[in-house]
Formats: sequence, C-alpha cells, structure tokens
Amino acid sequence: METLHYLSLGFGVALQPENLMFALIGCFIGTLIGALPGLGPANGVAILIPLAFTLGLPPETALIMLTAVYAGAMYGGRISSILLNIPGDEPAMMTCLDGYPMARKGKAAEALAISAIASFMGSLIATIGLILLAPILARFALTFGPAEYFALFVLAFATLGGITGKNPMKTLMAAAIGLIIATVGIDLSTGTQRYTFNVLELYEGVDFIIAIVGLFAISELLFFIEEKAGPGREMIKVNPLKLNWREIGSIFPTTLRSGVLGFIAGVLPGAGASLGSFITYTLEKKIVGKKGYFGEGDPRGVAAPEAGNNGASSGALVPMLTLGVPGSGTTAVLLAMLVSLNITPGPLMFTQNADLVWGVIAALLVGNFMLLLLNIPLVGVFVKILSVPPMYLLPIVTMVAFVGIYSISHSTFDLYFMIAFGVGGYILRKLEIPLVPVILGLLLGPEMEKNLRHAMQISDGDWSILWGSGLSIGLWLVAIIGLLLPVIVGPILRRRMQAAKAKTED
Amino acid sequence: MSKLNDRVFGLVMLVVAVAYYYGATQFPVPFGGTEAVGPETFPKLLAVILAICSLYMIVKPDADNPWPVSRTFLELGIAVATLIVYALLLEPIGFILATTFAVGTLCWRMGAKPLRSYLTGLISGVVVYVLFTYGLELPLPLGPLEMS
Repeated sequence: METLHYLSLGFGVALQPENLMFALIGCFIGTLIGALPGLGPANGVAILIPLAFTLGLPPETALIMLTAVYAGAMYGGRISSILLNIPGDEPAMMTCLDGYPMARKGKAAEALAISAIASFMGSLIATIGLILLAPILARFALTFGPAEYFALFVLAFATLGGITGKNPMKTLMAAAIGLIIATVGIDLSTGTQRYTFNVLELYEGVDFIIAIVGLFAISELLFFIEEKAGPGREMIKVNPLKLNWREIGSIFPTTLRSGVLGFIAGVLPGAGASLGSFITYTLEKKIVGKKGYFGEGDPRGVAAPEAGNNGASSGALVPMLTLGVPGSGTTAVLLAMLVSLNITPGPLMFTQNADLVWGVIAALLVGNFMLLLLNIPLVGVFVKILSVPPMYLLPIVTMVAFVGIYSISHSTFDLYFMIAFGVGGYILRKLEIPLVPVILGLLLGPEMEKNLRHAMQISDGDWSILWGSGLSIGLWLVAIIGLLLPVIVGPILRRRMQAAKAKTED
Repeated sequence: MSKLNDRVFGLVMLVVAVAYYYGATQFPVPFGGTEAVGPETFPKLLAVILAICSLYMIVKPDADNPWPVSRTFLELGIAVATLIVYALLLEPIGFILATTFAVGTLCWRMGAKPLRSYLTGLISGVVVYVLFTYGLELPLPLGPLEMS
C-alpha cells in the first residue's frame, strides 16, 4: 500500500507538463541514439548530461529526460538490426537473427511493429517488477554498514565484466585504472593534495563527465575512421504495414515469458541486457521447437530478444537506484548524472528523495506508452535519419560533445582533457580492456574510499571488519564467484553467441 | 600471433603502479597525526592491485589486435590533430568558423566530398550556435564575426 502511495506521488511529478515534455523529447532522442549505429546508449546519454546541466533543469526533470533517453535507446537499437543487419547497440544483436530475414522477405514494417510491441511489453513487465522489488531491496540495503558497502563495491567491479566477459583480469585492471584516476585531487577528509602535481585544474579532481564523454564519444569516432565505415551500408526499404490483431496476439505469450526473464537477467549482477536477449531468444527457440522457423524470419524470434533486452534494461535500474551500484555502462552514466546533481544514490534516496525516485519510475511507465506511440506511426522518420551516412553523422555528434563539455565550464583545458581521454579510450579498446569499469571506478572511487575509512574507524584499524558479518562474507563470496565464473562458463557462452552471430553474417 | 601489445601495456602499467605507490608514500602526514587509514592507504591498495594485474598481463598476454598501419594511422592522426586544433581555435576565431573547419575536415577525411563536407560544417555550426545563443541563452564565442 505504501508503494501505491509513493507511486501516486511519482505520477504527480511525472505528469507535470514540463516533465512530460522533456520525457517526450528524451524518448525521441533516445530512439534516435539507439537506432544510429556507432552511437550507443551509454555514449548518447553521456553526451546529453552536460547539455542537461547547462539547461539548468531541476534534478527530477533532468533525470526523467535521461531515463527516457535510456529507455528509448533500447527501443531504437532494433531499427538498425532489422533494416541494416547491424545492431544499433550490443543487446540488439539477437534481434538481427530473425529481424533481418523478415525484412528481406518484404516484411520490414511488420518486423518493426512487432519488435516495438515486444519492447513495450518487456519494459512494462520490468517496470512493474521494478516497482515491486525496489522498495524491498532498498529497505534491506538500509541494514548495510560501511564494511558491507565496501564489499558491495568490490562485488560490483567483480561482476561488471559479466559472465560473457573475456578476461576478468582486464576488467579488474580497468577498475583499478578508474579508481586511480579518481584519487587525483584534494583528499576530502584530510585536505591532503594527491597527485595534483601543483596543476590548479587538477585540485578538484578529474571531472568524470569529461572522462565519460571522451572515453565513449571520441574513441568511437576514431574507431569509425579506422574501419572506414564512412559511407554506411545499404538499407532495406520499408513496406506499408499490414498487421492484424491475431498476429499481435500470437506473440503475446512470447513477450510475457521473455519480459520476465529479461527483468531477472537485468537485476542480477553480471548478466545485463546482452545476456538477457540471448537467453530469451534461446529459450523461445527451445519452447517453440520444430514448429517455428527461427533464423529465417520468425516473428517470435524478433519479439523474444526485444522483450528480453528491454526487460533487462529496466531491471538494471533496480541495483542502480536501490544500492547505488550500477550493473551496466548506461546505468553507470545515469549514476554519474545523479552524483553530479549532488544526490547520493542508494537506499536512503527512497526516503530522502522519494519524489525524485518515484517520479522517475512513474516517468518510465509514461515514457513507455509514449515510446510505443512514437515507434509505430513515426518509424518512417527514424528510418530517414538512419540513412544519413556516418561520415556526416559522427563529426556532428563529436561537435555536440565539444559544445556540451565547453558549456559546462567555458574552459578549453577541459576539451584537451576530453581528447586525451578519447585517445586513451581508443588504446584501451584496442587492448580489449573494457571501458565501463574505468568509468565505474571513477564514479565509485570516492564513495568506496569513504566506506573503507568509516569501517576502519569503527574497528579501530582492524582489517578483519571487512569480512566480519555474514552479509559481507556473502557479498565477498558472490564477488569471487563473479570473477571466477567467466573463466569457467564464459568460453562456452561466448562461443554460442558467436555462432549465433556468425549465422546472420553469411 | 604476436602478443606484444599486452606485454608492453602490462609493463607500462607496472611502472605506473610503482610510481603511484611511491607517490603515496610521499604524502605529508595529515594534521592531527596518522590514522589507521590515511590518505595514502587506499592508493597503496590500488597500486598493489594494478601491479598484480600488470604482471598477469605480462605473463599471460592475449593475442594482439592489429594496430592501424600507415594510411589509416595517418588518418587517425589527422582526426586527433583536427580535434586539438578545434579546441585551440574555438575561442580565438569563434564557434561557427572553428566548427566549419573541424566538422568539415572530419567529414572530408571520412570520405565525403570536400564542398559538401565544409557546407555540413557551416550549417551545423550555425544551427547549434543559434540554438544555444537564442534558444538556450548560452552564448558561445563568436570571434571576429562579432564585429560584423
């Protein structure tokens, strides 16, 4: 009942005309970001953060807009999967498997419509799951002390590479690099200067927004130049839509199953949207069995991964909102937004900033309806923009990133910093060192150190407090499993995903 | 297949880890005496983790991804140089001119025709300038264009 009370409070926030307008703008931009290959959701949200700042939006409005962008990006990813056979973002990879064959058969419009409905169902189920689960988890998280939080942060880093991650040591190294960059600046509790080399600009530390935009946007530009992907690829023409209710009804059970499964994959640490869409697709194929024609354009093969990845993306908001520990790149960027708005994420947010949290949750529900409406009749607009070749698109996106960063502080020093991070990001990606742990390290570094200090003050310098309670031992165990599991299960899962991918490419 | 990349990077990071650890030992003692966990404890911990990871990379490197060679490498260099020049010129010559140059050069180097490239740069520059200055009331520098 309490939840219902808060939810109605949330709708009060989300339905204010200004917030509705920004949610709509966010949905539109998000779908675009998701659809454009080379502009992933994390990248897109990162570029928009400085703009949301300079607009001077109130926190709830800024967060509603960016959450709408996040939800929209998950919708948009499918458009290029279906029409170009290139996933707009990583989780949309499985949608290529049946979406592209369907489009080749002259059923592009149907594939787009079915995937939009599946996305809607997946998001809806997962948002309901979020509403039910988040308050419970938040209440549980209130029992965490500093030692448990420290263990939780370690867990977040250990599982970030995901079960499909290649080399856990590289994930760990990336996290260490991020945490190290976070220690630059004046130490908050003692005032000691650390690694500032007497450069004035470093006193306040490295602004993580500059780092995020550099690491994502600039390194992406460099990758596109290297791959000479300038002119883009040929696109399938969209036919007029012919879809009846019976067909929509036939995918209903699929979306229901996949949405629930996707949500679970999103909540669990280390799984995420990519794995969510993979599991749902595989399971659906097993359930339907020989009656289906998966891989050759079965509508259920389009619906399952879309419901799965949208479910997972809403599910991923659960740990981010309740524990302040994001499980994916994009939720990490959303967390960056919260931190820079001076809101401490975590369980206390549910009581201290109730209107904000519930406003965002309600906005997710409202945004989902907006996205469905946007994505069925307006799909033609997105298709048109998608046909702009990357050689015009990426330079403009880079320019927007420049303007955004410049408008925060009006300092060109920040711009050089951003370029340096871009080049660094390019090198790290070449070495297959993931970027998300670097960002998470940058974000969580100060919080992690603070919790370590508090724990040590409580125990008077006794390190064993870090594994002194049953809860923290449990968290450490999960962290260790999270590091070891990829070594054991990872190769098998990766091979299967590769095999599925290879099938679409021939 | 060569595995040099990981080894070299591991070595560089190992040097960083050692330097970082040394840096942490050089912090002045904070006012009020030392505590169990001072400003140097967390960095020291991180240095050890980074060193372990670096050693692992040196001992068990993954296979290399190919680095871009000659032409492509040059193109990447041009792109980075363009971005640096963009940041350099932004205030002196103003947003619109700098954007025309930077976006234009990037489009051109990515394969578009020169005229269309710089036109794209000019149009996007003007649109964003108008949007920011009049729409959002965040003035961007205009440089010499300010006079006319």
